[in-house]
Amino acid sequence: MRGTPLFPRAMIWLIALMTILPFLMALMTSFKTQMELFQGVFTLPSSLNFSNYVTAWHQGHFNTYFMNSVIVVFPVVICSILLGILAGFGFGMLKIPGKKLLAALLALGMVLPSEAFIIPLYHELRWMGLTNTYLALILPQIALSLPFTTLMIATAFQQIPKELIEASVMDGASRAKILWGILVPAIWPTLSTLALLLFIWTWNEFLIPLILVNKDELRTLPIGMMFFQNKNTIDIPVLMAGAMIVILPLLAIFLVFQRKFISGVTEGAVK
Amino acid sequence: MLNLSSWRNFLYVLPAMAIYALFLLFPLLASLGISFTDWDGTSLPVYNGVANFMRMFSDPVFWIALGNNVMLMLFYTLFPILVGLTLCSFLYETRNQTERSTLRVLFFLPYIMPMAVLGVVWRWLYNPAFGPIDQLLRAIGLPHLALSWLGDFTWALPAVGFVATWYFFGFCLVLFMAGLQRMDPSLLEAAELDGSSRRQKFLRITLPSLRPEIRIALLMTVIASLKAFDLVYVMTQGGPGTSTMVTNIFMYKQGFDLHNFGYASAVAVFSMIIVLVINGLIHFAIRERN
Repeated sequence: MRGTPLFPRAMIWLIALMTILPFLMALMTSFKTQMELFQGVFTLPSSLNFSNYVTAWHQGHFNTYFMNSVIVVFPVVICSILLGILAGFGFGMLKIPGKKLLAALLALGMVLPSEAFIIPLYHELRWMGLTNTYLALILPQIALSLPFTTLMIATAFQQIPKELIEASVMDGASRAKILWGILVPAIWPTLSTLALLLFIWTWNEFLIPLILVNKDELRTLPIGMMFFQNKNTIDIPVLMAGAMIVILPLLAIFLVFQRKFISGVTEGAVK
Repeated sequence: MLNLSSWRNFLYVLPAMAIYALFLLFPLLASLGISFTDWDGTSLPVYNGVANFMRMFSDPVFWIALGNNVMLMLFYTLFPILVGLTLCSFLYETRNQTERSTLRVLFFLPYIMPMAVLGVVWRWLYNPAFGPIDQLLRAIGLPHLALSWLGDFTWALPAVGFVATWYFFGFCLVLFMAGLQRMDPSLLEAAELDGSSRRQKFLRITLPSLRPEIRIALLMTVIASLKAFDLVYVMTQGGPGTSTMVTNIFMYKQGFDLHNFGYASAVAVFSMIIVLVINGLIHFAIRERN
């Protein structure tokens, strides 16, 4: 095989660096003082000064936003996957009255924009007394995640070799034992990909926390970031430090799981 | 063999379906109902037939918003797919696996970030007084190009759209790369032996075999352009004037700012119908060709 020609190779690296340039600029700026920024946007900061991070974390309430994101993400990922395993088992392996109709209703949730039902959802949660609670951030997010989760788990269950299941049925294992002891371990890779995708989608969610919560102490990172921007239009270094607080956990998770993550996103899209 | 009774089997899907029905299906149906009423959110809704829809179709701002959604398709769909296709044929030739996966990670990076944060960062990049883009333009002697990008009636929409292109092209690229890996490499080698040029190879072999991936990219990005909300909300809130107004921003303002919940629901229902129809059309096109 021939090597890659030099010119296209240089071009593609240049474009790749241009792609991450906004992140690099933000990172660089997050270490600068305001004075340094006025002196030059493109110069390197004189030292690795974390004071902007401290300001964003405490005065900017990013500590609260960060905790809220964590408090919301974990229940959403865990509940979505548990409910998805049960429903995926039902849809993928069992006879259920009206299964086609139920599956079609669930599939609707995959294409539906959340904006289509956000107004009644807001009023429903207000009527239930749930607006401005963590449940308002968690429950609708689970509902939003379930169609994709169930479909992916049901498909994975169906791809398990039939002999594996038949053997354990012969042994007289109970259904619960077959589901949790044989089927779930067999689709472990699918479940871990799902956990990763659900984590990122929930972490990045914008509309639900924007509308269902309006107390500052319940805001998640993306919404907190936006309100912080509106309050603080002058102090760019602190703003960029805030952006980095949102970006860095995502970046860490992405770099660790990048192969799994990229294949999950593309295969998820193909399905 | 796993079946006991089909009604007991129903219990497996019940918890998921209950949450889904309570927090998604029911509000969706309620949305349809509210769209036929006049409702301020506090008093009881009053049935007013199709008045909201009539008002919507004669509201010039609604049509501007819908037109902007269509304009955004250039930036959400066309440009990312074109850039993705161009880059993927180059990236495919990068034989070094480490180099290839490093590049893939770099291109994919924007796609995993929350739009809200990208919007905040880009607002600073576009800032006319102390943003890097305009400082660079002034430094290289093009001060007349140093516009107030997000405050300009002509440039605000393309400026927001450019961020979406930057966000989506890596996703398209990675999707197309996965498609190329599925392709039989002997096809390209045979073409190379026949002395085909790069362009011929791309048009005759690469492009046709990527058809399924192109359709998926089309589906995802077209729907994203119709659903556009968070990026626009963070960057311009629809302004200046109505130059970046899109249907979902319009719906949000009518509902949560002006408390015209009936009218806002009509807009939401109409946007949803467009999304479902376009989704159906693209799916139909896939089925027909296979």
